[in-house]
Amino acid sequence: MMKNPYQPLEATVEDIIIETPTIKTFCFRPKENFEFNTGQFIELTLPGIGEAPFTPSSDPSVKDRLEVTMMNVGRVTSILHSVSKNTTVGIRGPYGKGYPLDKFEGKEILIVGGGVGLAPLRSLLFSLFAKIDQYKKVALRYGARTPSDIIYKDTISNWAKKKKTDIVITVDVGDSSWKGNVGLVTTILKDLPVDLKNAVSVVCGPPIMMKFVTLKLLDLGFNPKDVYLSMEKNMSCGLGKCGHCRIGKFYTCKDGPVFTYEQLKDIHDIWD
Amino acid sequence: MQTLYLKEEFLSNFLDTLNKEYQVYVPYKVKGNTIKCDFDFQLPTDDYLFKTYSPNDKEKIIFNTYRTVEPLRTFYSYFKERIASYFISEQNKAIPQKKIAIFGVKNCDLYSLKIQDFVFLEGVTKDPLYEKRRKESLIISGDCPAFKEACFCLALHINPYVTDGFDLNFSPLNDGFLVDVGSSKGEDVIKISNNYFSLATPVQLSARVQKRNAVVEKLNHHLKPHKIPSEDLLQEIVTKGYSSAVWSDEALTCVECGGCNLMCDTCHCFLLSDERFGDINEKIRVWDACLYQNFAKVAGGANPNKYRYQRLRYRYFKKFDFFPDNLGMVACCGCGRCIDVCPGKIDIRRILKRLNDEKSVSTP
Repeated sequence: MMKNPYQPLEATVEDIIIETPTIKTFCFRPKENFEFNTGQFIELTLPGIGEAPFTPSSDPSVKDRLEVTMMNVGRVTSILHSVSKNTTVGIRGPYGKGYPLDKFEGKEILIVGGGVGLAPLRSLLFSLFAKIDQYKKVALRYGARTPSDIIYKDTISNWAKKKKTDIVITVDVGDSSWKGNVGLVTTILKDLPVDLKNAVSVVCGPPIMMKFVTLKLLDLGFNPKDVYLSMEKNMSCGLGKCGHCRIGKFYTCKDGPVFTYEQLKDIHDIWD
Repeated sequence: MQTLYLKEEFLSNFLDTLNKEYQVYVPYKVKGNTIKCDFDFQLPTDDYLFKTYSPNDKEKIIFNTYRTVEPLRTFYSYFKERIASYFISEQNKAIPQKKIAIFGVKNCDLYSLKIQDFVFLEGVTKDPLYEKRRKESLIISGDCPAFKEACFCLALHINPYVTDGFDLNFSPLNDGFLVDVGSSKGEDVIKISNNYFSLATPVQLSARVQKRNAVVEKLNHHLKPHKIPSEDLLQEIVTKGYSSAVWSDEALTCVECGGCNLMCDTCHCFLLSDERFGDINEKIRVWDACLYQNFAKVAGGANPNKYRYQRLRYRYFKKFDFFPDNLGMVACCGCGRCIDVCPGKIDIRRILKRLNDEKSVSTP
């Protein structure tokens, strides 16, 4: 009989990194090596409790360890946020289509993240930096609500030192210690150091942020084919069968979660 | 395809023989609801429910003249079932189950089975449970010599009789049945009960054609006042009607019971959940309904289908836009189960007609 596609792979929580008051990164060690392409997602099972979809935030070249950065926001994540090291979890996947790295070759890549939406983008950035010679430039524009909501602070400052890299961060609301930009992420999309004729953009964040960033990018002259979006839907099975994550004629789990705006632009209410 | 003849008095003998090898499901008649409106056709109101065949209940065995209450898919993906046990040293052993034979399947069900097969047997991966059940089941279909008020298969170009997709098909004729053999599985079954069957005569075959045509004519007549738009226009009608007020108007009487989804022959959505029984963790699959409020809600709280009218519309877009795009078929077989089940009297025929009327009005 064929392998049961609903059977999760056992993994243990090896480390938990507190990123912000509401966001933690969980490092899992799966019982067998687990491979994924950047941008693909997994279903993470809390044994006997529930399952939820996440896009790994770790480097896809690492096969024996997997990291997921998640905000404490729903039923499964709230329980996960309370678990300790060595907890057993389950992993199914990877599912869907990730970022098409081959299409990014020779291009300038503008990455726009919002809040915990930087998690899948970190995985993308690891992949890009691993073969940075193949790309012309990597520009990151990241917005968080407040300075204390910024995730991967140390990693971001390391990235900023890398060649061919241009990073700008903003917060919606600053505080007394914050010396950087204040304003929504769309405010740091002006005077972009990218050549629009040879650039692609990758956007991940809350739906409202993705909507306005996409509109802004189109306004700047990006082709809808070159705007890559990570769509958040209620994926349950991950296999294109359970029907929960439909967007128009697509299922987010198998046709996405990464879509170009070109694919989605004629579908009603995609940002809801 | 070979066509045989079975005298009605031998039907129970045939089922008895079948019962030795298969767990046989047969339709039982139950008293149905009172009729809504049948344009003086005096249409039957009784219903049929599938039950396991019992040789002691022979006198109750009947040939159902139209589809059962339950959709056919109940045999292939159960309403709630365990689909995986995990993190236990001992793999749970599958309990050997008798193969099933389903007697009383109709053409609407067979159309819908194509949708179910597409979902569960194609795409990213096959669904192992579905595949196993599908392979091991015997489908004995039957023509519909009658129809219910809610039946509208013909509007979708689906006939009230069966010509393919079965192992055996029964067409009632005089005091017996013409039996088509549609597969090698069906052939094997005939072999073990060969003595009850004779070859169908050309006279019987042409009598069947006449009988089938008469039902088609009557059903067409019944459907006329409903003015259901043509099947090939449905995708356009529904997509052009996205912003129509019909959705919110029709959703007014929706009580979110999910009946239209759960009784639907082509609906397939399910939700995975996890449960713990002692030391065993289990992944449970349970049918879900897009008319339920939280169907598309994500953990962050966003819900693209917050309102009932959006969920009603979502259902129609899935059936008449998603499936035509992905499979080239509408995901509606005209069985009318959603019409029969709806306590809010929401009628798919009326919604399609209203959308079509609006479209005709708006496009000069």
